[in-house]
Amino acid sequence: MKCIVVTPEKTEVETEAVFVAIPLFDGEYGVAPLHTPMVGRIGAGELRVKTGEETDSYYIEGGFIEVSGDVVSILTSRLVRKGDLSLADSQEALTAARARKAGDPDSMAEKFAAQRNARAQVRVARKWS
Amino acid sequence: MAKARALDKRRKSIQSTRKITHTMELVASAQFRKAMERALAASAYTERIAALVGDLARAGLKVAHPLLEERPQCKSTALLVLTANRGLCGGYNSSILRMGHKRLEELKAEGQAVRHMVSGNRGASYMKFRDVQIDEFFNQFDHHPLFEQVNVIAEGLLTSYLAGEIDRVEVVYTRFISLSKQYATIETLLPLSELANAQNAETETTKGQVDYEFLPSPESILEEVVPMAFKMKLFKCFLDAAVSEQIARRKAMKAATDNADSMISILTTTYNRARQSQITNEIIEVVSGASAMK
Repeated sequence: MKCIVVTPEKTEVETEAVFVAIPLFDGEYGVAPLHTPMVGRIGAGELRVKTGEETDSYYIEGGFIEVSGDVVSILTSRLVRKGDLSLADSQEALTAARARKAGDPDSMAEKFAAQRNARAQVRVARKWS
Repeated sequence: MAKARALDKRRKSIQSTRKITHTMELVASAQFRKAMERALAASAYTERIAALVGDLARAGLKVAHPLLEERPQCKSTALLVLTANRGLCGGYNSSILRMGHKRLEELKAEGQAVRHMVSGNRGASYMKFRDVQIDEFFNQFDHHPLFEQVNVIAEGLLTSYLAGEIDRVEVVYTRFISLSKQYATIETLLPLSELANAQNAETETTKGQVDYEFLPSPESILEEVVPMAFKMKLFKCFLDAAVSEQIARRKAMKAATDNADSMISILTTTYNRARQSQITNEIIEVVSGASAMK
């Protein structure tokens, strides 16, 4: 099974994988070879790509996953590699998201989305540190 | 002696100018290569988004989204003009600014409220000189536009578009076609028309029907794909502009270097002649002095 992860700037990961665990909008989703074709919305959290014995971890935020044939393509707006995510920065992002002013339903939804992402980031950063 | 020395001085100054322009040419080529790589890397995402829309359409979903609908009345437009931060790149900035300014006047003549957004210091100084108001200005994009930075602008535009503050978004930028072809153009980014067209093209060629499972639903995915497609288009404009700028600069600096080369060779000939005639003069003086002594 081939796993391709692209961000708007470049193709970040392109590898053979035996299993992919991806954070969808409502929880983690696992993709093994010969998975049924699917398109899903990605939430925020840890993406794990198992390549043989090793498992690579990334933090991703938003986007889509498409499984078709034997290819898993993941389009995400943000990807952070395991060593590059700091707990302090994540916590700062969460504080900033909490402090956001929201006066109407739209900005409220934005605020909640930002908070949700920041929380997921903190969770992943904690797990890695 | 005076004339030869003046010529030599001038030649030296041109030589040092040539050194500078040559270096700038090399720098521009290196940056062009980098910008080009980035533009190519970014196209992977755009292609996949387009493929995804095609798949959604094939799944029998009607592609409809507020961002795709043409508004019956267009009352206000956001005009984004992408120029460079620095000059010395030939006609790059002036052609963009000429086009942008003309479009601005047209929109104003139509009685539209225009949100005038300019990126690049060159654009700002041009508008200041012409006394044209700029509503938003950015200069954080050098030869290296980042998606995160473009995202902020895109989010702002999307919010005002959905709130009905603007009915249209147009971008004036230099489109990159190939190494030898780039031209200034105006592109309408909102309403997005391309996605709906892509859908039609895709449904006609129904190749390899795949039944996808959608999580949570095709509509919800479309809801997110469309804004993303807009962001990518805007990002691509910035990347294209960056690539074109480096090409324009390289071309301009190459012309300047060649020009300096030909000037140096002319000056060298003139200098040698002046020196020669000076020596001849001196010899004549010596010889005639000697013959007068006899």
